[in-house]
Amino acid sequence: MTPSKSAPPRLAERLLATALGDGDWSETILGDLYEEHALRSNSSQSRASSWYWRQACRLSVGGILARVRRHRESRLTRDLPSLPSRPPGDTLMRTLGLESRYAVRSILKRPALSAIVVFTLALGLGANASIFSMFDALVLRPFTMKDVDRITLVSFTTRDDENRREALSPGNYLDLRKQSGAFEHLAAFQWWTANLVGRDQPETVQGFFVTTDFFAVLGVQPAAGRAFLPEEETIGSERRVVIGHGLWERRFASDPAIVGQSIGVDGEQYEVVGIAPPGFEFPMGAQVWAPMTFSAEAAANRRSQYITAIGRLAPGRTLDDAKAQMAVAGEQLVRDHPETNRNREVRVFTIGDGMMDIGLMPILSMWQASAFFVLLIACANVASLLLARGAERNREMAIRLAIGASRGRVVRELLLESIVLALIAVPAALAVAWVSLKLVVGYMPAKIVKYVAGWNQMDVDVRLVGFTAGLALLTAIVFGLVPALQASRSRMSEALKDGARGATAGASRLRLRRGLVVGEIALALPLLVAATLSVLTVRQFLNGPQGFNPDGLLTMRLQLPDARYKKPETQSRFAHDVVERLRALPGVQTAAAINVMPASDNNWGRSIEIDGKPNPDPSNPPSVDYRAATPDFLAALQTPIKSGRTFTELDREDTQPVVIVNEALARKYWPNENPVGKRMRIDKEPWMTVVGTCGDHIHGWFERRNYPTLYRPFRQAPTQTMALAVRTSGDSTAIAAAARGALRAVDPEQPVFDVQSMRQSLHDRTIGLQYIGGIMFVFGGLALLLAVVGVYGVMAFMVAQRTHEIGVRMALGATRQDVLRLTVRQTGSLTAIGVALGVVLSVLLGRMIEAALFGLASNDVRITGGLAAVLITAALLAGYVPARRAASIEPTVALRGE
Amino acid sequence: MNLGEFEQVVLLAVLRLGEHAYAIPIREEIEQRTGRSVARGALYTALERLEGKHCLRSRMSDPLPERGGRSRRYFAVTATGMAAIRASRRNLLKMWQGLESRLES
Repeated sequence: MTPSKSAPPRLAERLLATALGDGDWSETILGDLYEEHALRSNSSQSRASSWYWRQACRLSVGGILARVRRHRESRLTRDLPSLPSRPPGDTLMRTLGLESRYAVRSILKRPALSAIVVFTLALGLGANASIFSMFDALVLRPFTMKDVDRITLVSFTTRDDENRREALSPGNYLDLRKQSGAFEHLAAFQWWTANLVGRDQPETVQGFFVTTDFFAVLGVQPAAGRAFLPEEETIGSERRVVIGHGLWERRFASDPAIVGQSIGVDGEQYEVVGIAPPGFEFPMGAQVWAPMTFSAEAAANRRSQYITAIGRLAPGRTLDDAKAQMAVAGEQLVRDHPETNRNREVRVFTIGDGMMDIGLMPILSMWQASAFFVLLIACANVASLLLARGAERNREMAIRLAIGASRGRVVRELLLESIVLALIAVPAALAVAWVSLKLVVGYMPAKIVKYVAGWNQMDVDVRLVGFTAGLALLTAIVFGLVPALQASRSRMSEALKDGARGATAGASRLRLRRGLVVGEIALALPLLVAATLSVLTVRQFLNGPQGFNPDGLLTMRLQLPDARYKKPETQSRFAHDVVERLRALPGVQTAAAINVMPASDNNWGRSIEIDGKPNPDPSNPPSVDYRAATPDFLAALQTPIKSGRTFTELDREDTQPVVIVNEALARKYWPNENPVGKRMRIDKEPWMTVVGTCGDHIHGWFERRNYPTLYRPFRQAPTQTMALAVRTSGDSTAIAAAARGALRAVDPEQPVFDVQSMRQSLHDRTIGLQYIGGIMFVFGGLALLLAVVGVYGVMAFMVAQRTHEIGVRMALGATRQDVLRLTVRQTGSLTAIGVALGVVLSVLLGRMIEAALFGLASNDVRITGGLAAVLITAALLAGYVPARRAASIEPTVALRGE
Repeated sequence: MNLGEFEQVVLLAVLRLGEHAYAIPIREEIEQRTGRSVARGALYTALERLEGKHCLRSRMSDPLPERGGRSRRYFAVTATGMAAIRASRRNLLKMWQGLESRLES
């Protein structure tokens, strides 16, 4: 048993330690619990820690009470004789202590009201805590490497392409590395789809080719074995791998003897030299790392940008030093190789900034803003409740003021009450955050999680407790100050009059509460708008037209290794054989192969040249999405041919090169012309004739909607990257096993991955959108709920206060209808003002959501109008209930009342 | 000095355990012998109170790894504690005299 395994939950221990304070008793109790926890965790770790939490909570309460008691006893004995000469500082502390106790007593006196306040605050604070935790994990601390602020990312791109991270060609990287004095090391990595064979089923895992100083840059030591040696960067000694801890446990059964042995990767033998430490999966969920080599050909390549560079700053050098040095080196590269490097600039980021998803910030800021709106609405509700409470305590306050309490003291007492309420809400808010974070983390598919650094670190931790407590204090002041000031203005004469007559009670108080209702509605509307926009967008992208029929379509991916499939003919043959076998399976209508499947997370782009339309800037040719597909691909996806023909078996390597373009490409490069018969080419390859046009696809919701795309016959442009589409007549996943079998029959050593229905791919691909929609939906719902409760509270209070007046009116001849109308009209006017303000805010939040959804959604009048109607209806209904009560008052009862 | 019933039970448990008396075995001893469960908070309160009445004295052990580097607090009954528990036993026995046949069944 290792000490770390039997250690109790840290948060619980710290909580208890705080509650117990310093001293022998604290040490005794913490030690006893530690000891018992260790014994219990022998049988069940999780049961032991929940046991610890229970004990910690109980003993914390006991500990606090004991401290209060001890404090009081010691003060009684100490203070009594020295009462006259009490130092001034002690007075304040004593007063505060007394007042806190008074506040707690006053809260306990109204348990129902206090519970509602705490519940409301817990929702508002919990929403903010959840989003803060995401922000903290994803933006502030996504990477947990040692000295993470010394690790940088270096890119060399044009200005329009500055978010690109595979930003260096091998030639440019090697030149930069020669001038990298500001760095201890300047390492590089390159995407690698690694096929593992032997020991188990063939399997494709995420790999990266890395320079040999990669682990040194990140400050990571392998858990076993060693990292790479500098000489392993040379061709001939590069067949080495470091394997991930998870892969080692899973595929190699945690066998330590694996270090030094050879494993089959991509049809070659690689020696395992090390095992990465647990949890290390940089970058992007990597499971194997192998040395990157630079052949003479690669070292001269400045055209293909596929390398990402990371550097550790040398001791004593700053990020600015590195930026300055790299800028000079970059300018040199532009001067020396203008044909490929024109307009490029070096950028140096910290690793946190550099690896962060650019879509993250707008989304997180929208969520944080929405959570903040929810909290404001919650504050308005609580303030409103406290104002109502203040009205009841009017008399008490007036009397206390009259017999000499200072206004400051009354305000302070009431504020303290608010603070205590808010602090009670903190644990509840943390529970809300804990549950929502569990849901948020758990819903994300594992294959996406690896792209979001820090995702699995979201949790309730000490920082979150601190944040929530701080926010709670701030909140208490926001919702507590106005009611407190209001109460301190109580006048003896008015208060006694109010109490006696109950007719115009707290007119200014009511005005304030109405103001709060207006505010709540004004805040709720934009949240509803944002929520609706998000949900509509998600629905559209999940269920709307994709440009192909995703139902009954099974897809899978594979990567043919160099060892056996270097030659184009072998690639074509493999594709042909697999497609034939798949087609022969029962229940399969047709099957096809392509390099990149729609809605998958990879993409290929190539630069094109249109015959007869030379590009004005030859160094920056237009790029389109590039596909190579077997003849039946478009038919399998049920993508329509719009003009011309589709591919046939007659489009072979020895026939005329042909191409099919999608409508987006046709529109862009041959506007108002029929592209069929026109010619285009890629780089300096032979010209290809356009034989047909087809419909557009949505490849990705972010920036690949109806993007210009060209299709080539697979036999004329075979690839090692391949995806298969199988059109079935029934449930597509039912034939997954048979499809794997068909593949094994062609090549038993070839692993296949991402075997799933196209529906599943769409789900995975839109996961970000689904998060936006889901979280905004929750916020919108909360806002609506809180606003309706707020309206109800104010109207019910108003009716109760005006019972007497209503009685008089009815006695004088007003009908029930009149009373109903009077009350409903009040609700209506408050709601109308709120909605008017809300429309203005909707425009602002609408802009944020447009940014967060990359312009997929746009706010329109119908949505805002429709939601305003929903909100007005809900508010009127909330106001109607008390209005009916008012209308059914018997005049005699009302007049007798009080 | 008057001892509460629970305080007597705690003192007796400390006596029984001798030099091994710290909170965890004390609680186990009471639970095993009386068959009733003892809240940790109540036990700590009683121990603190008994120490305050000078019926118990305590000493801290060296830090122990199985307690996360914290010390154990061992208790021992003082002369005052012995006197108090003797007195309460005597008083109880006096009150029992002549009632055994009716109450022990």
